[in-house]
Amino acid sequence: MKNKVLLFGLVLLFCSHDMYLKLDSYFLQPNTDEQILLFNGTFDASENVIDRDRMVDASLLGNGQRITITENQWSEKDSITYLNFKTGSAGTWVAGVSTKARNIEMEAEAFNNYLEHDGVKDMLESRRKNDLLEEDAIEKYSKHVKVIFQVGDATSNDWSKPLGYPIEFIPQENPYNVHTGDSIVIKLLRDGKPLTNQLVYADYKPSKNGHTHDDQTKMHSHDGGEPHSHSDDMHDHKDTTEDHEHTHKHGDDEHSHGHSHDDNDHDHEHASGTTKSHEHTHKHSNKEEHSHDHEHDASATKNHEHEHDDKAKSHEHTHKHGNKEEHSHDHKHDANATENHEHEHDNIDIEQLDHSTKPHTHNTGQEIRTNEKGEVTVQLKADGIWYLRTIHLMNSEEAGPTHESNWATLTFEVSHDHRDNKDHDHHDHDSEGIPMWIFIAASIVVIGGLFFIFNRKK
Amino acid sequence: MPQHRNILILIITIAFPLVGMAHGVSSSDQGTLDNGDLLSYIYVGAKHMLTGYDHLLFLAGVVFYLKGSKDIMKFITVFTIGHCITLIGATYLEIRINEHFIDAVIALSAVYKGFENLGGFKRCNVKSPNLLLMVLIFGLIHGLGLSTRLQSFDVGNEQFLSKIISFNLGVELGQIVALIPIVFLISQWRKKESYQSFYKAANVYLLIAGVLLFVYQVYHGLSV
Repeated sequence: MKNKVLLFGLVLLFCSHDMYLKLDSYFLQPNTDEQILLFNGTFDASENVIDRDRMVDASLLGNGQRITITENQWSEKDSITYLNFKTGSAGTWVAGVSTKARNIEMEAEAFNNYLEHDGVKDMLESRRKNDLLEEDAIEKYSKHVKVIFQVGDATSNDWSKPLGYPIEFIPQENPYNVHTGDSIVIKLLRDGKPLTNQLVYADYKPSKNGHTHDDQTKMHSHDGGEPHSHSDDMHDHKDTTEDHEHTHKHGDDEHSHGHSHDDNDHDHEHASGTTKSHEHTHKHSNKEEHSHDHEHDASATKNHEHEHDDKAKSHEHTHKHGNKEEHSHDHKHDANATENHEHEHDNIDIEQLDHSTKPHTHNTGQEIRTNEKGEVTVQLKADGIWYLRTIHLMNSEEAGPTHESNWATLTFEVSHDHRDNKDHDHHDHDSEGIPMWIFIAASIVVIGGLFFIFNRKK
Repeated sequence: MPQHRNILILIITIAFPLVGMAHGVSSSDQGTLDNGDLLSYIYVGAKHMLTGYDHLLFLAGVVFYLKGSKDIMKFITVFTIGHCITLIGATYLEIRINEHFIDAVIALSAVYKGFENLGGFKRCNVKSPNLLLMVLIFGLIHGLGLSTRLQSFDVGNEQFLSKIISFNLGVELGQIVALIPIVFLISQWRKKESYQSFYKAANVYLLIAGVLLFVYQVYHGLSV
């Protein structure tokens, strides 16, 4: 069992390491100091920094020029790597990072699980077909990430220029000329050539001031959280699925297990060393909130269980360990066949699992295959930061690795078209305001002029 | 020659607090707050004050009117108390006012001060309202503007009050840094023959800048 746990942890750890270049706002002012964040982990959280010697290339592309990012432009804090740079003139800018290839060795089950979690379905299917599911793997992988952002108001053509990475997304139109509700065609290049029949995942995270006018996807926020929208395909509650949430405390640290089910019993495990007792509180749709109290010794008891009198089919556990970030475990089970189930954490890997078991978004959103031109059409359903990811995995012809993968991501921000004159109540702070130099210049001219006039009169 | 030197000092002093980024919330500020501790709130608060020309215009107007460091200390303290109350209170209670509306009112505070400094009330045969009271009222209004700006950031729920207080502390530090050259310039120029011309020029500028900022905020408030 312990091996399984370790394996599970390693799979999650590995599969969680997507790389993204991102900004808080993708609309910047010209000639200002800004930062681009390099995340290695999930789109929502970075789990470790990237050493500069891992980067084969780091470039900015803007105003028709490609600028190599120097070592001293990088800084890091916590687990995020920051690119510090000064924006140039107005235009649509690109930043990219390409990393060296590394090898990772995985046991067969870990490899299969990673393929499943990260949506590398073709390779998984190929292993199934060819009866290779028991084969261990050594994967040679490298990551190639890009961000496209808008400086000032005027757009430029820099977004269309390839950075020449082994794998790369190239939009077929300026992402800052399209708006929420539009679609955008994005080409995927592998070694400069269109990559056909490749699975691409596109998703978005609502921007901080984002909103939509679409009645179907109303933006809202919960408990002071970021505004967001629920489109029909973002979540699915089946009629047979009833939702509830478990909230409990370990010492001073509250966490919750939210899930929906209609079965009788289930249990789950904790590895937190400080876990002694906790309470599960949950709600069922149309039913009253209730709770389950129980105690267990953290050092001795990693497993615990609680019972439900109702029936469940699928649910999600969300909880925190200590001060770590909240994470969740989703799983489904058949109400009739599965009355008990469990999941577990290993004490040894808890630090890693704390990071790697955050809600996974690896293969959420739109799942699209590139066509014969290597293109995907992404429906930009809502305001937000859109991100595309793909893992191109193939059998390796090199001696040593069994597989070779190239990971690509692209992020950009989509906002709605204000020309439609619909009501809204947010302001894009980065794109408004009197430019400082105008204010300074005008102030000096006015005061200087007035001073001369009044002084001469005197 | 000395006159030209005065102009140079004026230019540097006016430009000093305005150099830097624009008044609004920038993504780098949000990044600073996201990845920093409470010090980052102090930094962003100070930066906001130093680049917030509407606040500085009003403060310059107040300093123009006053004579002596005791007076300056008294009025600045009242202004500070005023904006601390609303900055902390409104942010904590999550009271958020339309930013264009509040910025428009703040712009009017600069107009008010310029008008008063130029003897506008006297010319209209109207008694000037108590300045200390007006500074307190405008302090409360400026605090609401600062609060609106702070609430534009994604502050999160942890250490909420500490973050507000840190931002406020940054605002005060920024205010002190901005006031030093303003007070220095005005007090130095006061001794010179050309001071009356400078006084008039600067206060007429306050009126013009205040009106333009007001129009700008109203225009943007109505167009969104």
